[in-house]
Amino acid sequence: MNFDLSDEQNVVKDLAQQIFEGHAPVERVKDIERNHGGFDEALWRELAKANLLGLCLPEALGGSGYGLVELCLLLEQQGRRVAPVPLWATVVLGALPIAEFGTDEQRALLEGVISGDVRLTAALSETGADEALRPSVVATRTATGWHLHGFKPTVPAAQFAQRVLVPARQEASAGDGPIGIFLVDPTAAGVTVEPVSATSNQPFAHLTLDVDVAAGDRLGGADADGEAQLRWLLERALVGLCALQLGVCTAAIEQTAAYTSTRTQFGKPLSTFQGVAHQAADAFILTEPMRVTMLQAAWRLMHGLSSRQEVLIAKYWASEGGQKVVHLCQHLHGGMGSDIDYPIHRYFLWGVQNETTLGAGSVQLARLGTLIASDAVGAAS
Amino acid sequence: MDIGDSPDEAAFRLEARTWLEQHAKRRDPSARHRPASTDAEQDAHAKACQDWQRVLYAGGWAGLTWPKQFGGRGGKPWQAAIFAEEQSKFDVSTGVFSVAHGMVAPTLMMHGDDRQRGHLDAMLRGDEVWAQLFSEPEAGSDLANLGTRAVLDGDQWVVNGQKVWTSGAQHSQYAILLARTDPDAPKHAGITYFIVDMRSPGIEVRPLRQITGVAHFNEVFLTDVRIPVENVVGEVNAGWKIAHTTLSNERALIGGSGGNAFTVPELIEMARRYHRTDDPVVRQGLAQAHIRAEILKYMGYGVRTSISRGVMPGPGASVMKLFFARHWAAVGSLAVAIEGAAGMLWGDSASDDGLWQQVFCQQYAIRIGGGTDEIQGNVIGERALGLPREPSLDRDLPWRETRGTKA
Ligand SMILES: Cc1cc2nc3c(=O)[nH]c(=O)nc-3n(C[C@H](O)[C@H](O)[C@H](O)COP(=O)(O)OP(=O)(O)OC[C@H]3O[C@@H](n4cnc5c(N)ncnc54)[C@H](O)[C@@H]3O)c2cc1C
Repeated sequence: MNFDLSDEQNVVKDLAQQIFEGHAPVERVKDIERNHGGFDEALWRELAKANLLGLCLPEALGGSGYGLVELCLLLEQQGRRVAPVPLWATVVLGALPIAEFGTDEQRALLEGVISGDVRLTAALSETGADEALRPSVVATRTATGWHLHGFKPTVPAAQFAQRVLVPARQEASAGDGPIGIFLVDPTAAGVTVEPVSATSNQPFAHLTLDVDVAAGDRLGGADADGEAQLRWLLERALVGLCALQLGVCTAAIEQTAAYTSTRTQFGKPLSTFQGVAHQAADAFILTEPMRVTMLQAAWRLMHGLSSRQEVLIAKYWASEGGQKVVHLCQHLHGGMGSDIDYPIHRYFLWGVQNETTLGAGSVQLARLGTLIASDAVGAAS
Repeated sequence: MDIGDSPDEAAFRLEARTWLEQHAKRRDPSARHRPASTDAEQDAHAKACQDWQRVLYAGGWAGLTWPKQFGGRGGKPWQAAIFAEEQSKFDVSTGVFSVAHGMVAPTLMMHGDDRQRGHLDAMLRGDEVWAQLFSEPEAGSDLANLGTRAVLDGDQWVVNGQKVWTSGAQHSQYAILLARTDPDAPKHAGITYFIVDMRSPGIEVRPLRQITGVAHFNEVFLTDVRIPVENVVGEVNAGWKIAHTTLSNERALIGGSGGNAFTVPELIEMARRYHRTDDPVVRQGLAQAHIRAEILKYMGYGVRTSISRGVMPGPGASVMKLFFARHWAAVGSLAVAIEGAAGMLWGDSASDDGLWQQVFCQQYAIRIGGGTDEIQGNVIGERALGLPREPSLDRDLPWRETRGTKA
């Protein structure tokens, strides 16, 4: 593939940049974190107005019909400003799978997403081992649909969502029933949403489910292959995190370069010490692979090509490389990094959040190792 | 666990443990409390430290290695190490006194006069908490660039300037202060080392919020603060050398503070609770943490020995601080990785009361405070390896010229 952006892609990127830069200055981000639970509703409206929430949703529903690469460019810009909006949750975890697999009735939700009125998310994390493909929530049949029972930790922005996509094991007495993804209304009786504090100050909530859902709330209808849907969703979820991480890291490096070039100690700018310059260069070297691996994975997914390896490579690098980058940037700010009135710590905390969400580097590495050691390399792709 | 103990050591350990059992509550690893993460918790912690210090003093355990003439017990460094090890198993801390006991006291023992050494007993009694007024906005790694001015007026010095990152200033009765007394001398040659009463008129303490949510450190503004001439430690304009004693001890203090915030057994216990001890990657991480903790213990013996002989700990303290900073950072990362999806939860939402998240986020206090990793590297290069010092543009110029019109 070609990693240069097309003219259209540059337009998307510039528009996104303009909105995030205009609406997520540091003071505003701080206020949203402290006083608004980590969700900037005004910025969300701006994104809707520019039709960026519908960027990659079908034109028939009012979206712009772009693909995953363009969506990643948008997420990258969000990461650059560590802007507090549930974009990844709503668009990647919720809207994309509904657009791809949803019934007509389910797809009707997307109009609300595009207009900015509806927010979505998915409950992917599992307690402990974090193996999203083995959901612990159990779905049993009822006369009118399903009953869901179980616990889902750290669901991103669940407290702001109108629907949560919940993967569940159907009738799993032995733990091996088929998987279904269910659209759950978090305000329904039988759902408890417990907001939790996260180190990164982003909104998360634990979900406890003991709730009936209608038959029509199973994603794609009664016979859809939930496991395939979940794999599809997870791949995009991981690539979305990589795009956010790329934005976080590139902006952190730029800020670090600027800071160390203006801060003088020992009569000269810090950046003229090789001990500083080499660390900044290391951070830069770690970031370039994040860009190419993310774009490669996004591009292949967008074109329907098999991408299992590419996604794991991208998330491995975004996790491992990304956390090293934010550590280096934090460190090069000296005492300033510890003062929360100064913005760099937020990049550090977001970077670590992105690193660990849906499996840190060692988890991706183990998966990739299994994949390439068991398949003949490349045979699957 | 104590297989290395000689008969003397074993006897001392038993004595210490018996006394601790009688006077303190054992730490319950599963109910472990995180370091203070709100202002109220921090105030309560400071108070608890003072109370415990009084108990130590009454029991004859305060200042274990300090000479008897200064109110100490006159003990051996290995005794202090064993006592610290045993004490870490109990729910007590003397953290609020770390500047006083670990940095100011050794400096006053070496450089103070008798009147100034009178503070030592008050520190041991738990009556005096001290802060370190060294760093300034323009003088961090380049501490000798500091610009807080002190001008002599009769038998008092009048001080004006701003300090920053001052840990614990809000709880302190006294501080050690570096100020510029000769702006026309090169930067290292015009600094004087003072003792200042934090209750003096003209001192304003403004808290700075840290990444861990708590105001651990502060900005301190000094406006026409008057300090009596008797409070100069050593000679006027000869404060830099004295500051070195303090800084070496600070490195030794930070490098030797393992076990204060967490212990490797606690980390292992947490990994067990998360059912992660079968994972070979986790097991290797735990083994590496254990190895580093052992190494730090052995290095600590050497550094404690020199301190107790009244000798500056030297580059060994920098080695230990740097090694400890890496240990701390690695433990923080391993801990949040073990917790997986829950690793980035905070405070009450996190397990162990958020202890491991605090450890993770505090790594920059360790890596930056007390001289950064890079500065320790420079010290090791110069003093342990004998490498030539990094060429410096401003070292020999009058400080006033390097600072433009600011002075
Ligand atoms: C938690 C905490 C508590 C503190 N408590 C106190 C206190 O009680 N009293 C007090 O006086 N001070 C205190 N400090 C201040 C501390 O000593 C300084 O923050 C530290 O010395 C670094 O200075 P700086 O923050 O200005 O960073 P800078 O000096 O600006 O350094 C920024 C970055 O540049 C790097 N760098 C600087 N010079 C060089 C070089 N020559 N070569 C290579 N790299 C270099 C540094 O390593 C760092 O990564 C505290 C700091 C922290 C974080």
